[in-house]
Amino acid sequence: MASQGIGASVLRNEDDRFLRGRGQYVADIALPGTLNAAFLRSPIAHARIKSITIPDDLKGRIFTAADMTGVGPIVGISSLPGFRVSEYPVLATRKVRFVGEPIAVALAPERAEAEDMIERIAVEFDPLPAAVECLDARKSGAPLVHEQWPDNVVHQAEFKLGPFDEMVKKAALKVTRQFRISRQAVMPMESRAALAHYDTRQDELVVYASHQTPHLLATGLAKFLGMSQRQVRVISPDVGGGFGLKIFVEAEALVAAALAMRLRRPIRWIEDNLEHLTADANCREHRHTLTAYADNQGKFLAFDLDVVVDGGAYSIYPWTSCVEAAQCAGILTAAYDLPSIHAKLATVATNKPPICVYRGVARPGVCFSGELIVDAVARAIGREPYQVRIDNMVRPEQMPYSTITNKLYDSGDYPESVRQAAKLADVAAIRARQRRGETDGTLIGVGFASYTEQTAHGTSVLSKWGVELVPGYEMATVRMTSDGDLVIEVGIHSHGQGMETTLAQIANEVLGIDPKRVKVKFGDTAMSPYSTGTYASRSIVMAGGAVATACRTLAKRIAVIGAHLLQAKADDVRIENAQVIGPKGQVDFSALGRAWYLHPEDLPPVVDRGGLTVTEGYRPNPDSGTFSYATHAAVVSVDPDLGTVKLIEYFVVEDCGQRVNPMVVEGQVLGGTVQGIGTALYEEALYGPNGEALTGTLADYMIPGATEVPDIKLAHMTTPSPWTEFGIKGVGEGGAIAPPAAIANAVNDALRVRGVEIAETPITPRRILAALAAAGEL
Amino acid sequence: MKAPPLDYVRPATVAEALAYLKQGGDGAMVLAGGQSLGPMLNLRLARPTLLVDISRLAELTRTATVNGTLAIGSAVIHADIEDGKAPDPCHGLLTETAATIAYRAVRNRGTIGGSLSHADPVGDWCPVLMALGASVVAASNAGERTIAVADFVEGVLTTSLRPGEIVTEIRIPRLAATARWGRYKICRKPGKFADAIAVVVMDTAAVQSRVAVAMPNHRPVLLPQAAVHLLALKGADRDGLAAFRNAARAELAALGASDALQLHILSAAAMRAAADALNRKRPQP
Amino acid sequence: MKVTLTLNGRPIETDVEARKSLADFIREREGLTGTHITCEQGVCGACTILVDGRPVRSCIALAVTADRRDVRTIEGFDDDPVMAIVRRCFSECHALQCGYCTPGMLVTARDIVTRLPNADRARIRLELSGNLCRCTGYLGIINAIEKAAFEIRARRP
Repeated sequence: MASQGIGASVLRNEDDRFLRGRGQYVADIALPGTLNAAFLRSPIAHARIKSITIPDDLKGRIFTAADMTGVGPIVGISSLPGFRVSEYPVLATRKVRFVGEPIAVALAPERAEAEDMIERIAVEFDPLPAAVECLDARKSGAPLVHEQWPDNVVHQAEFKLGPFDEMVKKAALKVTRQFRISRQAVMPMESRAALAHYDTRQDELVVYASHQTPHLLATGLAKFLGMSQRQVRVISPDVGGGFGLKIFVEAEALVAAALAMRLRRPIRWIEDNLEHLTADANCREHRHTLTAYADNQGKFLAFDLDVVVDGGAYSIYPWTSCVEAAQCAGILTAAYDLPSIHAKLATVATNKPPICVYRGVARPGVCFSGELIVDAVARAIGREPYQVRIDNMVRPEQMPYSTITNKLYDSGDYPESVRQAAKLADVAAIRARQRRGETDGTLIGVGFASYTEQTAHGTSVLSKWGVELVPGYEMATVRMTSDGDLVIEVGIHSHGQGMETTLAQIANEVLGIDPKRVKVKFGDTAMSPYSTGTYASRSIVMAGGAVATACRTLAKRIAVIGAHLLQAKADDVRIENAQVIGPKGQVDFSALGRAWYLHPEDLPPVVDRGGLTVTEGYRPNPDSGTFSYATHAAVVSVDPDLGTVKLIEYFVVEDCGQRVNPMVVEGQVLGGTVQGIGTALYEEALYGPNGEALTGTLADYMIPGATEVPDIKLAHMTTPSPWTEFGIKGVGEGGAIAPPAAIANAVNDALRVRGVEIAETPITPRRILAALAAAGEL
Repeated sequence: MKAPPLDYVRPATVAEALAYLKQGGDGAMVLAGGQSLGPMLNLRLARPTLLVDISRLAELTRTATVNGTLAIGSAVIHADIEDGKAPDPCHGLLTETAATIAYRAVRNRGTIGGSLSHADPVGDWCPVLMALGASVVAASNAGERTIAVADFVEGVLTTSLRPGEIVTEIRIPRLAATARWGRYKICRKPGKFADAIAVVVMDTAAVQSRVAVAMPNHRPVLLPQAAVHLLALKGADRDGLAAFRNAARAELAALGASDALQLHILSAAAMRAAADALNRKRPQP
Repeated sequence: MKVTLTLNGRPIETDVEARKSLADFIREREGLTGTHITCEQGVCGACTILVDGRPVRSCIALAVTADRRDVRTIEGFDDDPVMAIVRRCFSECHALQCGYCTPGMLVTARDIVTRLPNADRARIRLELSGNLCRCTGYLGIINAIEKAAFEIRARRP
């Protein structure tokens, strides 16, 4: 392999501007005449709006739903049977349905002034009872979030796959638990942002947006503004983290766009932290009842899952609120060779902000309940939980393996990841230490969690989700410049994943060009091929495959031109280190660029008309996804007097196939793992009994900092995918999936001697102390 | 999250500051480090019409030792105490306390007087200063008065400061050579509001001990009855500490502010602060 | 109100609204957008800059309080030799991904290696606790600071 191609930990091209503070995020862009927007947001979770009174001196600078005819509503539709459609107005019409729902917008040269203005708007509410806890919202008689629906169920489904009833009958062991995963905020360091203006020269609406899926945003903006697609351009510049938040068409962007066109001035909205933590799309709130059926050796026969996901008040576009619950059946078998499942899934509407698709989407929840039930089974039969995992996992010789839920696992050695994790954690030593006891009275525990992660799934999978988001061929345009450098245009968006470097490494792999001579461009819909964008850990596989394909096509054209310049035959030349090398000499790419662009008289008589610009499409075959996986192991120390949990050790054994840039992969795994630690121990977006948002600042909503993170140790396995370019697999989300389960299993292992089991996140000291108190152990 | 409209002045002397406060009436607020007020302004939870910036007043940033008592200006920043720029007559208790306040960037602006006056129930200074028997000096146009810290903080975010008064100085008596201190802060992560802070200052030879506990929903308190238990302990003896803990729990329960779990946590902090004091080596003279 | 300050070595005399934060002043009035805003509560550290050589939170500081002070933002470290080492170590240790927390992180990192040159990993973590990152998981940043501190120590006579 080339030293700067696949497998090299090349330092990032994108680092320099960020290290000098020269990145350009939406809030950094200054357009003359910009007005800043502040939204008046509902202070109440559920109410009818009786009146909105705007002072006379502010009329023309404050806008409400009455000013937004023809804009929206936002409608996210799924064609899954029984899905209920919600209309999400860009500014609240007759009702508000969550604390934070936008009601009016004020515009001023300064944001501070706009905030002064919204304080002067008087809104009269007729309060309604609020549906807050999703399990309650599901019951008959609960307040209806959408009064035209018979109940609050957005979508539900039931699956029975494999010989479930037969397995249940013959099971020697039945273990049931209930699990709760807290609602969380995504909390990227850069909040959402939109800056809209109308470009009269190009006759198009231009929206700068902090976004992961610029083309999808453009599609949605045009749709909900009633414009043609050719009239809308979205530019996602540098984006300060996305993680699955910045993937929907936001009401605020639509309002900004509509007003920018109406007032003929740029309109800017920068979400502040209070808005993000209280009113923005939240995520992850699950309620599970899970039963595992096994034989008396711990071999799983069936899983029975009842899951309710809190979908919030409206479906976002295009994902809808049901996409999280709807996946839970498909991923329930996880890494196990599970013969049967029964699953009841429901997405329930509540008077809380809409949910988005945060890193891992449904997997962190299903991994939490699934991996905790595995440990419960192991404890019931007196076996080591990691051994029970190994015994039940899909074995490498079974690959490719089709689960009973129709997921096709391409490659991997799941049991080996467990073996390695167990070795790293040194389970025997921990058991010995537990028997000795700690002199300070703390309790040590070890916990494991394994998962598989479907990445880069394509048309065949997403077309079945029923939403207006189906990726096709991923496109890349690769163009050699007149001085022999390379420009790559892709439709994905890199906001931390290092793709300005990794895609350049792929170009290096094919063409030998120094990644520093490769400019990767993305984010501007005018300058990039259409793509559904960056989500579901798809980008390196899809865009990488497209880049590789385009580079290979380009290589053929380069060979023809280069051979001609070298007076050799095309078959007698090769491409290496950005040169064309023939039997009697070599020529640099810059000579080819010069010939094509500046001196076409030097070109061969027969040459591809496409020249040095190639656009290619790519998708893996099959495109049902390529599966990464990992086993995490946590070693914890629990102080039973304070309820505190300390992470003493944390190990990750992960496999994402062939790594393009190991350094970048490690960064993704570590970052995801720390977000998972946040879910496990710290993060909870709290709502009061009437739906009031209680965690409105970072003083209340805790995300992990440097002191909360141990020296996480990473180990890697590499089983390439047989279906992708270079055998690469997606990896962006994986780290976030397992930590809540691994840490909970470790805490439960530690607390086993006290007869206490924790089954909810975050595992706070108060929850541990309450459990100990309930067990009479305090 | 932008501050509401306000005016700002930076007086050159304490007398000028007091004049501005009087002039500004109810709408005037003192600005020292701004680390508590700044966030409140951005959330519009505070709406002063006039901010009177006292952070640079030389009268408020000097320290002096008078008869062993440290007189520290109210506008001295936490970072200077952390770095030992102010003399610490309390065997390192002051420097250690300062070092655990929020983050260095906050300590570079936040002041001891500002923190005390803000009276966050789990602010770091109050329980320490109560356990040390410290007092504040409050100045107004009418003159000066000295208030024991234990009396100064009256409730959650409320002090006995009268309108038009500024804390100018904190007076901290020297800790005897025979005294020991212990401190235990229960906090989920640095910078987060604490769940409990307990400070123990004891001098067996002088038959003196104080136990101060700070908790989220109540003003910090001294536990005189529990403190008596400590004097009987020779070392960090397990049963003795358990008895002390029970006494602390009972005294805290009588406040009526905490549920069973919070009493458990607060008394755990008190016990660990006591163990810390008993285990701590006395500094060599 | 009038305010006079030095910003990245450049003297400035201008008028500013009393309520304007130092962060907003730097970003909007002076176009130095390298200083970023996230929490506006002084918790996350994204807005950290140097005032009179000390790291402070610009989001909860009023611009008027920078009067007669020396203010240095990330852009003011372009030619700083210590920051050059810290920047290089950040890149080598993959201590940044999306880049949003990075300017504040760098200002704090530079303060750590200059003020606490012998800080161990535990101390580095503690000093970093006021700078939040959602992308990296912190280990790259801790490694970078450890490496930079080592290099700087090694260069001392």
